[in-house]
Amino acid sequence: MRQFFPVEDLARDERFVQTNMAERMKDGRTAIDVEKTSSAKSRGASKRLTPDRHDASDAARGLMHGIMVGEIQALEGAGRTAHDFATGDGTNDTVPFELKLDMARQAWDEARHVEISAKLSDWMGTELGEFAENTVLFEAACSNDPILRLAGVNRALEGLAIDVFTQMKEFGDIAGDPYLEFCEDWMLADEVTHVKMGSDWLRKVTANDPDRRTKALEFQQVVDKLFSFGGARGESEESSFSLAKRFRELAGFTDDEVDTISQMDHEALEERKEAVRKYRERVGADA
Amino acid sequence: MGNAPVRSDTESTARAPFAPWDRRDIPGSFSVEETARRVGNYKWTEMKLFEALGGWVATVPELDVKMRLGTHCYHHAWHADLWHKRLPELREMKPERLTVPANEAMERFIEAMTEPEAPELTIEKLVGVYRVLIPRFIAAYTYHRNNTSEITDAPTIRSINFILQDEFDDWRDGEMLLQSLITTPEHVRRAAEQQATLEAIMVEAGGITGADSIGTGVTTTTEGGV
Repeated sequence: MRQFFPVEDLARDERFVQTNMAERMKDGRTAIDVEKTSSAKSRGASKRLTPDRHDASDAARGLMHGIMVGEIQALEGAGRTAHDFATGDGTNDTVPFELKLDMARQAWDEARHVEISAKLSDWMGTELGEFAENTVLFEAACSNDPILRLAGVNRALEGLAIDVFTQMKEFGDIAGDPYLEFCEDWMLADEVTHVKMGSDWLRKVTANDPDRRTKALEFQQVVDKLFSFGGARGESEESSFSLAKRFRELAGFTDDEVDTISQMDHEALEERKEAVRKYRERVGADA
Repeated sequence: MGNAPVRSDTESTARAPFAPWDRRDIPGSFSVEETARRVGNYKWTEMKLFEALGGWVATVPELDVKMRLGTHCYHHAWHADLWHKRLPELREMKPERLTVPANEAMERFIEAMTEPEAPELTIEKLVGVYRVLIPRFIAAYTYHRNNTSEITDAPTIRSINFILQDEFDDWRDGEMLLQSLITTPEHVRRAAEQQATLEAIMVEAGGITGADSIGTGVTTTTEGGV
């Protein structure tokens, strides 16, 4: 078995269709309304996932399927990090024995999350493979530096999972679906643990290597921005879900780090709106 | 305290240190050094196994197999951790010194077992783990549990009992997955060939802790004890 495993070789059965971030962003269904003129019940008024949205059912099913394939990739990523590096003191491409144990534990947790998500998807009337799978999560788990993997996956992406699960838990509560709320609450507990693992190991392994820590935190910011989906996460009503600040604190984020992510989400939303505006102007000029 | 019942002179609290139903005894087959050596072999092999299971998760397309491998990956990591913590209690203050394979053949076995990577080789991957390696773990752990001192080495026995429960459960999971995947004569041939190839190397190794893994081979080190 190879030491490192490329994202394009991820093994899936024939039901799954894979895509990447660029393809996803081209999809018109993910477009944002820069004019904000839609009626109160339409998707454009608020992008928050609430049961009174006319497309709430499909949006919730799509999000749950996205969570499920994300959990599959998180399982694969944790497994690879347990496998890909020799045991050592954390320098020279080695990882401490206890870090490997944490990755194995995370693999088990993610396996349970796949099981939970598959049951929830079935509960919501979704077929496996009904929505495309974005493989960007596993891409963040392909770095040759294990600390970059922890920054990108555990801190950025598992952090995002905290935000999404908080949103889905609220959705279950408002929609009167205790089954959904129960499952999301349990997964949320695990995700806080995984983010804390990432925070703790990042600090511990890079304690005497400030350059490596800086690189890891920069990588985390790149992944955080990429995964803000152009402002899909943020405090604005135009964002689909918000930053779960309290849970992030529990997971080892400092107040400054939470503020930075919040600011980055806001900038990402503005950048995306500007890009859409320019695109419309150009299309209008061509027409 | 102040109102304790008065005990009569004829009511004795003197009892034998071992109750009549407690038949545990001192004699055991392994010295501290030999126990540490075996535990180091267990830890090395459990580590190689959890690393392999973790690495394979991304390579298998079958969703149920993928999830089982992730679950079992943690079980074996936990076993490795139990042995890692046991080594200093056995006077080995540098656990990595004894975290080694029993011999060169055991190292070769792990290399051969972890060689399959392609997505169409799920049968080969599972056969190596669930029809060759885990049965060897069950054998070595059972031999150790039944031959070590029930009193002086109780901590090892306690760990082995927890671990054996996992090994039996995981073996059952793996065997059932294999039975569900092996559905044609070609599958049968592939499974048998892989098992024969790996079993031959394992026989060379003698088992998880070498030739004396289950007490039937040549004693390789300082086996002794009381």
